[in-house]
Amino acid sequence: MTRRWLNRAAWAFLLTLGCAALAAPWLPLEDYRSMHVELRLEAPHWTASPVLGTDAQGRDMLARLLWGARISLFVGLCGTLVAMFVGVPYGAFAGFRGGRWERTMMRLADALESIPMVVFVLFLMSILQEYRSELAAIGCGRLQLFLVAVGLLFWLPTARVARAEALRIRQLPYVLAARASGMRGWPLLRTHILPNMMPAMLVMLLLTLPRVILMEAFLSFLGLGVEPPAVSWGGLASDGLAAMNPLVGSAWLMGLPSGALALTLLALQRIGRSARP
Amino acid sequence: MSKRLLRRLLSLLVSILLVHAAAFMMVRATRGGPFDEERALAPQVQLALEQRFGFDDSLLVQYFHAVSGLFRGDFGPSLRYRDTQVSALLADALPISLALGGGALLLALLLGIPSGLLAASRRHRNAGALAITTSTFLLAIPNFVLAGLLVALFSFQLGWLPPAGFGSVRHLLLPWLCLALPLAAQISLLVHARTTETLNSASVRSAIAQGLSPQLLLRRYILRPSLTPVLAFLGPATAALLTGSLVIEQVFALPGLGTFFVQAALARDYTLALGVTVVYTALLGSCTLCADLLMARMDPRVEALS
Repeated sequence: MTRRWLNRAAWAFLLTLGCAALAAPWLPLEDYRSMHVELRLEAPHWTASPVLGTDAQGRDMLARLLWGARISLFVGLCGTLVAMFVGVPYGAFAGFRGGRWERTMMRLADALESIPMVVFVLFLMSILQEYRSELAAIGCGRLQLFLVAVGLLFWLPTARVARAEALRIRQLPYVLAARASGMRGWPLLRTHILPNMMPAMLVMLLLTLPRVILMEAFLSFLGLGVEPPAVSWGGLASDGLAAMNPLVGSAWLMGLPSGALALTLLALQRIGRSARP
Repeated sequence: MSKRLLRRLLSLLVSILLVHAAAFMMVRATRGGPFDEERALAPQVQLALEQRFGFDDSLLVQYFHAVSGLFRGDFGPSLRYRDTQVSALLADALPISLALGGGALLLALLLGIPSGLLAASRRHRNAGALAITTSTFLLAIPNFVLAGLLVALFSFQLGWLPPAGFGSVRHLLLPWLCLALPLAAQISLLVHARTTETLNSASVRSAIAQGLSPQLLLRRYILRPSLTPVLAFLGPATAALLTGSLVIEQVFALPGLGTFFVQAALARDYTLALGVTVVYTALLGSCTLCADLLMARMDPRVEALS
């Protein structure tokens, strides 16, 4: 019973947040980039004007949080989709084909798992910084680089689950029947296997999303996240950490974005777990 | 057994070589270099620098030198720290990172396994629920935020521990905790799930029916099956520790591999970044190998090193 209410609360929170983030440009907010020197480090007033306070440059935290939500959620969603886009076909093909193909493909996945991908991706990103102007010319900024990085990092678990699902579905009676009546290859994969993998893949999507959002926070901390003046929750939280010192209490600068992040991730986990068959 | 071990060691070597080759090619393919300053260097200076670092040989010769250096543990001179060999920097940083990672792993196991078992026991239902809730929450915040919280509490409020720096064991306590807590949370969830399953299995139920004491039950029937997923998790845990240490070493200003790697990546010190990448690959590979060996030892059904 409480579980059902928790699920509803999670859905309600995510929907509200999503709508607020989508509508951020039209909401009556301060500009998230405009600095007010006289209003620096204002603590949250909760009911009066800077509702959630201001940061070290006097920028409105409520506006920054909502604009940060846009980036964090968007990046999380796109990154997850990239990972699915690589992982699902790989795993589905391996599981469906079976035999030597499957063994080779899964051994490759094992080998990739035993190298530190995060380090490798950071290495790659730092080198691609050299080509920033060329990349910008073909419309490829930090954001696109991030999506590639996420694809490289998170497709492996998805591929594993996809393979297991494909293996399971391949042995089900309706697939055997289709096979017996002469269906092979791509048509079989498309009409019977891929559609029936969808529920498991949806769960996988929900479970990958929190990890991608955390990854963005990680990269923001290292200075490889979205570029200012754009803001993301991870960037805000790491600014808050940088502003933290024992003399000026500015806990809200780190607390608010990481609280928002934590609530979102908890809600996603909740829904992901309840959707698991 | 030994043949399989040999094969695994060989494949570890191959993956190190592949990572090295890929990183090497990426470095050499870049146009910009660490000698690019605001002002263009005089051509003679440029040439002298390139000769000193061996950039004027053909790519194949350079790669050959790099690989032969790799086997001697020699990664050449650092491009940013003048007159310093990368291997010397690595030798200074590696013990710190090993102490940090090893301690954190141990702490994570010590916290995670008992809390997972507790969460699965029927008698301590409330404590178990608390452990699960804490774990879920710990997995939902970035680790630098956790570091900030712990520093605010233990350094600024209570004044018990230093907020950053390196020197004594006291400096390592907070970093250990920051790295260990998220891992402990994951371990706890894993142990909880598997133990609940074990408790419902036929073998445990018949053992209970025969009237075995709880201690004996735990030792003989529950621990071993419940701990195998933890062993399987050791490989990914090492990877998570590596990733986490990149951030935590920065936050606490520890002069470990992670700090060097991030600085090198940002300051284009490619030889140093390459060296750290190779060391990380070797570390992760050998930890995964050890975990697999242990697992085959614990659970005979897992075919050893397949």
